[in-house]
Amino acid sequence: MIVAELSAATKRFGALTALDRASLAIDEGDVLALLGPNGAGKSTAIALLLGLRIPDEGSARLFGLEPRRVEARRRIGVAPQEVAFPPTLRVHEVIELVRRHYEEPIALEAVAGRFGLQRLLRRQLGGLSGGERRLVAVALAFAGGPELVVLDEPTAGLDAEARDAVWEAVRAHAHGGGTVLLTTHHLDEAEALAERVVLLERGVVAEDGTVTAIKRAAGLTRVSFRSPPGVALDGFRLEGELAHADVEDAGAFVAALVRRGVRLVELEVRPLSLEEAIAARRTSR
Amino acid sequence: MTLVLAHARAMTLELARHPAYLVPTLAFPAVFFLFFAAPGTNADADVRMATFAGFAALGVAFFQFGVGIAAERASPWEVYLRTLPVGAGTRLAARVLSAAVFAAAAAAVVIAVAVALTPVGLTPRGWVELAAALVAGTAPFALLGVAIGYWAPPRAALPLANLLYLGLAYAGGLWFGPQHLPDAVQRASTVLPTRALGDVLAAAALGAVPPWRPWIALVCFAAAFGALAVWGYRRDAGRRHR
Repeated sequence: MIVAELSAATKRFGALTALDRASLAIDEGDVLALLGPNGAGKSTAIALLLGLRIPDEGSARLFGLEPRRVEARRRIGVAPQEVAFPPTLRVHEVIELVRRHYEEPIALEAVAGRFGLQRLLRRQLGGLSGGERRLVAVALAFAGGPELVVLDEPTAGLDAEARDAVWEAVRAHAHGGGTVLLTTHHLDEAEALAERVVLLERGVVAEDGTVTAIKRAAGLTRVSFRSPPGVALDGFRLEGELAHADVEDAGAFVAALVRRGVRLVELEVRPLSLEEAIAARRTSR
Repeated sequence: MTLVLAHARAMTLELARHPAYLVPTLAFPAVFFLFFAAPGTNADADVRMATFAGFAALGVAFFQFGVGIAAERASPWEVYLRTLPVGAGTRLAARVLSAAVFAAAAAAVVIAVAVALTPVGLTPRGWVELAAALVAGTAPFALLGVAIGYWAPPRAALPLANLLYLGLAYAGGLWFGPQHLPDAVQRASTVLPTRALGDVLAAAALGAVPPWRPWIALVCFAAAFGALAVWGYRRDAGRRHR
């Protein structure tokens, strides 16, 4: 079942086209990472899917409904990129307020426990650090027990412990059959959490596929070694003294180098990271 | 209803913990009464108390609705609330409920000061009629507050609300009674909503038959301010969420 969908959605702000005929569909149980540099259209795509904006052309649907419908919103939980909480409210009051909107919310204690918020529950939000407020915002997305959780830059400004708690919550939600849509600048985060990524560039969907498929399309492995002086290395990129090549069959590639008599100092053969795969795909386009 | 109460509770707690909002809202009308009305009030003690209670409730309408909405409508928290399964009507009802709590508290402080320092002598029925007149009579001003909230830029809302609040209260005769106003202001006051409010509150305090003319005026003002508020809301929503 398709949980959320953009169909040829275009959104313009004056002369700027923030999203240009973008289509994406999120299936039930997906963990999908929406990637792209600043200004690529990620937040606009999220805003259309949440009904905070209306597409100029094309359509946005949540659970087959217009996203502003209360019936659709009852099935989603959101952590926006920016949340300025009312400073005098306490953490437990805000979580309780959000929980009341849902039919089967997660218990307050369970929400607090999952995100390590127990010691903050009685604190006023205005007295929390930026990272603590971010963690509360992410906790609110899960507090209602929604089917689809939408997280816009969920770990921005979080320390390692808090980031792990968020990652664990995403994995647990997915394990329980829930769906997650997240945006992130950190491709390692996307790789760690998502099965599928959609890459936006200048408002256009540039890539849409599984992490494995994108890596495979770029070449599965990276071969690196210290470049020997005076040896011409076709197909390699040089970074200082290190030579890199992204190849599908690393064994055959290294064997060919050995047959040529190339000295392989500090040889490293490893799977390509998602970030490297996307960069390689971008270069080849 | 549960959601209305939940949002109203959150709004009330949020404001009640802001001394910068709470203290002036509760104390300012009572201090005004203490300085300008209490010393010379004898025969018209009931009327002065009633109009100053109206002045107190008006402050909440202008500041909690006008300034509050103007400040909040661009805030990320309001944007977040739009992602929750809750309609705009529920949020508005919660805002009205929360404002009613503060308006009642502000009016109660004025009434307590008046009862303590002036010869107030309302009958039980008079108290009920005054309460009803306060609730119904200040409704148009709540709508005016909402209109200010959606039309005024956040930085302009506070001075605008202050100007309208104090200007309308004075020119409507809520402080001294319209008969004590300068001639020109007295003539202008006949077309002001605060004059109509003062008239209905005075009638309730005196146990008189509810005067139809100011009530009709208040209904007309409510319709006009309501239309302005809806227009402002749609304009804002169109700009911000299209």
